[in-house]
Amino acid sequence: MSTDAHMLERFAVSAKRRRRDRLARSAILGATAIALIPLALIVYYLLSKGLGSWSWSFFTTDPTGNTFFASSSIGGIKSAILGTIEIVAVASALAVPIGIGVAVWLVEYGRNSRFAHTVRFFVDVLTGVPSIMFGLFVYIVLIIGTGSSYAAYKGAFALALLMLPVVTRSAEVVLLLIPGALRESALALGAPRWRVIFKIVLPTALPGLVTGVLLAIARAAGETAPLLFTAGATLKSGFSLNGFMNSLPIQIYTDVTSATTSVVNRAWGAALTLVVMILLLNLFARLVARRSSVG
Amino acid sequence: MSPESSARGRVVSPDSKTGGAPPLTAQQGRLHFQQELQGLETRALGGLDVVLEQLDRTLESLAHQDVELAQMVIADDDRVDGRYLEVHQGILSLLATQAPVAGDLRLVAALLHVIVHVERMGDQCVNIAKLIPLSGYEPPVRPEVLEALLKMGAHARSEIVQCKAAFSGRDIGLAEDLARQDREINRLNREIFRLALEIGDDPDTREWGMHMILVARALERIGDNAVDVGEQVAFVVTGLFREFSDQTNPLGS
Amino acid sequence: MSSDGHTQDTAPALGATGTQDTASALDVTDTQDTASALDATDAQYATDSDRLPPAPRTTDIDMLEPKPSSPQSSQSAPTSERRAGAHTRIGRGVKLEKLRAFYGEVEQVKGVDLDFNANEVTAIIGPSGCGKSTMVRCINRMHEEIPGARAEGRVLLDELDIYDAAVDVVAVRRAIGMVFQKPNPFPTMSVFDNVAAGLRLSSRKPSDLHHKVESALRGAGLWEEVKDRLGEAGAGLSGGQQQRLCIARSLAVEPEVILMDEPCSALDPIATLKIEELIDELKARVTIVIVTHNMQQAARVADRTAFMLGGELVEVGPTQQIFTNPNDARTEEYVTGKFG
Repeated sequence: MSTDAHMLERFAVSAKRRRRDRLARSAILGATAIALIPLALIVYYLLSKGLGSWSWSFFTTDPTGNTFFASSSIGGIKSAILGTIEIVAVASALAVPIGIGVAVWLVEYGRNSRFAHTVRFFVDVLTGVPSIMFGLFVYIVLIIGTGSSYAAYKGAFALALLMLPVVTRSAEVVLLLIPGALRESALALGAPRWRVIFKIVLPTALPGLVTGVLLAIARAAGETAPLLFTAGATLKSGFSLNGFMNSLPIQIYTDVTSATTSVVNRAWGAALTLVVMILLLNLFARLVARRSSVG
Repeated sequence: MSPESSARGRVVSPDSKTGGAPPLTAQQGRLHFQQELQGLETRALGGLDVVLEQLDRTLESLAHQDVELAQMVIADDDRVDGRYLEVHQGILSLLATQAPVAGDLRLVAALLHVIVHVERMGDQCVNIAKLIPLSGYEPPVRPEVLEALLKMGAHARSEIVQCKAAFSGRDIGLAEDLARQDREINRLNREIFRLALEIGDDPDTREWGMHMILVARALERIGDNAVDVGEQVAFVVTGLFREFSDQTNPLGS
Repeated sequence: MSSDGHTQDTAPALGATGTQDTASALDVTDTQDTASALDATDAQYATDSDRLPPAPRTTDIDMLEPKPSSPQSSQSAPTSERRAGAHTRIGRGVKLEKLRAFYGEVEQVKGVDLDFNANEVTAIIGPSGCGKSTMVRCINRMHEEIPGARAEGRVLLDELDIYDAAVDVVAVRRAIGMVFQKPNPFPTMSVFDNVAAGLRLSSRKPSDLHHKVESALRGAGLWEEVKDRLGEAGAGLSGGQQQRLCIARSLAVEPEVILMDEPCSALDPIATLKIEELIDELKARVTIVIVTHNMQQAARVADRTAFMLGGELVEVGPTQQIFTNPNDARTEEYVTGKFG
C-alpha cells in the first residue's frame, strides 16, 4: 500500500549514495594496491634473485675476499650471518632491559612529572635521529676518543643506542594500555609496587613488549650505517667481541656495488637471508609470547 | 527522634523534621510516585467524608425514628467498603511498584490503618442503623436519653472532622486534642448507661433503653476510631507510635 | 465487610463483645480485631486507678532485633559448602577521625568522623561525587596512589593509626582488602593462580597454598563451581563468578576488613543476590564496608548505613532507622528519591 511505498522511499539507499560509496571503496582499494606493489616487488626480487645463490656452501663458508672470479671461489656469507647474530644479540642484551626499564619508570613512577615529560621528549627525538649519528657518536667517543680501533662490541653499542628509544617507546605504549584497575587490585592485595610490576604488569604486557622488541631488533639487524665505522669489516668468522666483525648489512653493502655478477647475486642471497632470519625470529617470539600468556 | 542515629557521626547542621528548614534542593524526583501517594491520601481521607455523611444520616434517623433513612444507611455502607478496597489495593500496588522508604513508607502504613478505621466507623453507623427499626415506628422515647445520644453524635462528628484535619495538616496538637473530646464521649456513654438502668419497669421502655445503650456504645467506638486516626498522625510525623490517653487521667496524653 | 465481631443485632452483640464487666467495657478502646484481643485490652485498662500513664510504644520496626554485632551471636546454621573451610579470624573495627582527603587542592572528603563496628556490614550511600569512594579508599590507603592525592586525619584499625609514619602501607592493605566495581581477575592467570596471587605477591611463601586457595574459594561460595576448572583462565568465568573470584582473591590473604566499592553494579540481579548472601555470611569473619548506589541493596545487606553528601557525613545509624525514620531532612530526601 501507499504506506509501504512511503516507508521504502524513506529508508531506501539513494543512487547518489551508492555511487559515492563505490567511488570511495575503489579509491581505498587503489591506495592499498599502490602500497602493496612495492612490497610485492621487493618480495619478488628477493626471491627471484636471492634464492639462486642459496646453497650449503653459501651458508657455511666465509667470503674469501676474491671478487673477480666465479661463484665457487668467492665464498659464502657465514661470517656475516654469525656476525649479525652476535652483534644484534649483544645490542639487544643491552638495549632491551634498559629500554623496558625506562618505559617502566616512565609509566609507573615518573608518570606526569616534569622530568618524565623531558625524558619522553628526548626519547622521541632519538627515534628520529638518523642511524649514522649513532655510528659517528661511537666512532668519536670509543674509537677516536680512546685511540683504539674498531671492535664488534663498539658496533653492538651503536646498535644498542639505536634500539633503545624504539624499545622504550613501544614498551611505554604497551604498558600504558594495561588497565589501571589491574595495578590497583594487585596493590590492594598488599604487594609492594615493584612486585606488582614484575609479577602482574610485565607478564600481562608480555605479548606487546615482545612485539616492540622484535621491531627494534628487526630495525637494528638491517642497519648498515652504525656499523660502518664501528665494528670494522672483516671476512673471517670470529667470536671475540674485541675484534672486527662482519655483518650482513655490511656484506651486502660491499657486495652490491661489485662488477662481478656472482658477487652481486651473493648480495641478494644475503638480503634474502636477512629477511628470512627476521621472519623466523618473529615467529619464534610469538610462539613464546602465546605460551606465556595462557600460563 | 531515635537516639541511636548519628551516635558517632558529626552531623552537619541537623535539620529537624517537624517544621524544619526547607529541603536542600529544589529538584523534584519521582513526580509520578508523589502524585500517586497524594492521590491515595486524598481517597483515604475522603473516606472520612463518606463516613461523615453516613453518620449524619444515622443521627437524623435516630432523632426522628426514620426507618427508611436507616435502611439507606445500611445500603450505603457499600460505598465505604468500596473505598476501603480501593485504597487497600492502591497501597499494595504502591508498595510493590515504588518501594517507598522513610517518611513515604510511614505514610503508606498509616493510610492502611486509617482506611481500616474508616471502614470500622462505617460499620458502627450500620450497627446503629440496624438497631433503629427494632424499636418500631413509635418507640417509647425518653428525651433525656435521646438528647445525650445526639450530643454524643455531635461530638463523634466533630472528632471525625478534626481527625481528618489533623491528618491532612500533619498537626499533632490537633490530633492529641481528640483525646480530650473523646473523654466527653466516654462521659456521656456512662451517663446513658446510668439513665438506662433507671429507666423504669415498662418492658418496652426497658428494651428501648437496652438498644440505646448499644447505640451509645457504637458512637463511643466511632470516637475511638477517630482517636486512632489521630495516633497515626503522630506516627507519620515522628515515626513513633503512641497511644493517646482516652481515660480521665488529667496528666496523661 | 462487617464480619469482624462488631454487632449486627442484639443477641450476638452481647456475646461477641465478651466483656466481663459492662461498665469497664464501655470505656474500652477498640484497638484490636478479634474478640479475644478485646478481652486482653479490657484486663489492661480495667479501672482508672490501676491504669498507668501510657508509655511511648515504639513501632514494630524498632522492636526488631538489631542485627548482631558479635560473631558469636550471628551464627545461623551454615551451609555445608561455605563453612567447611572457614577461617576463624575475626574482623576488627575501623574508626575514622577527622578524615580529610584531597586531590591536589580540591577537598573531596571534608572532615569525617565515622565508626565501622567489627563484624558488621556498614553501607555508605550518597549521590555521585559525594566522596564516598574517596573516603573508602583512604581506609586502605589506596587514595595516596593517585598522583597529587593526599589524606589528613586518622584512620584507626582497632587502636592503630594506619597513617602513622612507622606503619607499612603494604601490611595495611593485607589487613584491609578491597573488591572493586568491575570484576578484574588477572587476565594472564588461571583461577587457581588468581586466588593464590595475593599470597604469592606477599613475601612469605605459604606451605599449604592449595589448602588456602580452596578455603578462600569456599569462603566466596565459588568452590563447587570451579573446583574442576582451577587451571582455566580466570577471565573465562561469568561476570558474577569473576567478582566472587576477586572476593576469594581478597579472602586468601586473610584480611580483617574488606572494603567493597559498588561490587554489584556491573552484575545481573541474580549474581547480585548471590553476592549479597555472601556478604551476609562473610561478616562473621571480617568487617565489611560497602559503598553502593543502590539503596535497596544497602537496606538488604547492611547493619548500619551512613549517608554522605558533598564530602561530609550527614547521618549514620542502624539501617532500619535510616530507611524508616531518618533524623536529617537531607537523608529523608535522598532515600525517598527526591534528589540524587
